Amino acid sequence: MTGLAIALLILQFFQPSLNRSDELSAAHIENVYVLPENVKAILVQSCYDCHSNNTRYPWYSRIQPGAWFMAKHIQHGKAEVNFSDFGEYSVRRRRSKFRAMSGQIKNGEMPLWSYTLMHHHAVLSTEDKHILMDWFGRMEDSIK
Amino acid sequence: MKNLILSIIAFTMAFLTISCNHGSKNEQSSNNTAVLPQDQTVSQPKEVGTTGEKAVRETANGPESTVKQPVKSFSIAAIITDYLSLKNALVSDDDKAAASAGKKLFATLDNVDMTVIHADKHKKYMDIAEDAKEHAEHISENAGNIHHQREHLAVLSNDLQDLIDLFGTSQILYQDYCPMFNDGEGAVWFSENKAVKNPYYGSKMMTCGKVERTINGK
Ligand code: HEC
Ligand SMILES: [Cu+2]
Repeated sequence: MTGLAIALLILQFFQPSLNRSDELSAAHIENVYVLPENVKAILVQSCYDCHSNNTRYPWYSRIQPGAWFMAKHIQHGKAEVNFSDFGEYSVRRRRSKFRAMSGQIKNGEMPLWSYTLMHHHAVLSTEDKHILMDWFGRMEDSIK
Repeated sequence: MKNLILSIIAFTMAFLTISCNHGSKNEQSSNNTAVLPQDQTVSQPKEVGTTGEKAVRETANGPESTVKQPVKSFSIAAIITDYLSLKNALVSDDDKAAASAGKKLFATLDNVDMTVIHADKHKKYMDIAEDAKEHAEHISENAGNIHHQREHLAVLSNDLQDLIDLFGTSQILYQDYCPMFNDGEGAVWFSENKAVKNPYYGSKMMTCGKVERTINGK
């Protein structure tokens, strides 16, 4: 037991680098499309932490080993969808992304449950889900 | 006690995470996913964009009339073959077969020799292929989640439709439509057979859908 405690303590000194950038990139989705305020608020609360170049880190997210999981989520999440680079996707891929995002929400797969366990603020209400799916669907159909 | 067990689990997993995670954080997003095993790349059928020399001759009209360099013709036959085996795997509700067909399709798309595609069509091809590869890759990674594989098939089928419109096909194909998929949004698929066999529902609703268009091979 003491051994474990010491190991966990030592682990705290090994912190993954932070995913933070202060400016809003030119290709950021907010610079490419006009996001309705409510849509933007939900994305910030529930998606940007893993799908943009700017993660907000509450203190508990820096506790190991959770911080490593978070870094891993960010790495994989950004490879799938990065809102900070959204404007760099072709129109065809943007449509695919909008559709995939809507699907993930409909299927209840995003945000990851392992994350909302700790980050309750990111849980989507039924209303949030409808707002997002509705907007994603409209974007998918309207952009060319 | 519960806490102790939890922390042991957490610790073990953290350890595993560290050991397979050497400094790879936050590197470039997109596009550098899926590294294919070397042998796969090598053993790829070389049908994609194979030869068939075709001399394009301008109409002789003046003294400066020219004869263009022979142009190799590009064919999407190999892409269609892989798509059809993927589609058939989903018709038979076989997620594992779908995953390996998705992997094969990814490799085929990835190995297309761009030099045989006519310059006018380069950009369009790249645009479609980039998207199609992503769907093929997700299908390959989602054995165990056939619903998700089918979601990707729907968008992949749109990409294939654009490829067929762009390059034509030497094979007769049927473009089918399933009005129910994705909560009534509908989805197309392509089949080598006239009889409707639905890849979006498989055995649950095998004959749901209709043939919308027959594409005559040339
Ligand atoms: C805790 C981090 C995290 C949060 C928060 C999060 N995601 Fe993800 N997301 C991931 C990871 C990791 C992946 C890739 C692996 C996977 O699919 O599980 C992913 C994958 C995706 C994909 C690709 C799915 C596919 O396979 O086609 C989409 C789309 C997506 N997320 C959308 C969202 C949306 C929309 C939100 C907000 C409602 C969100 N995510 C919130 C981590 C996260
Ligand atoms: Cu996917």
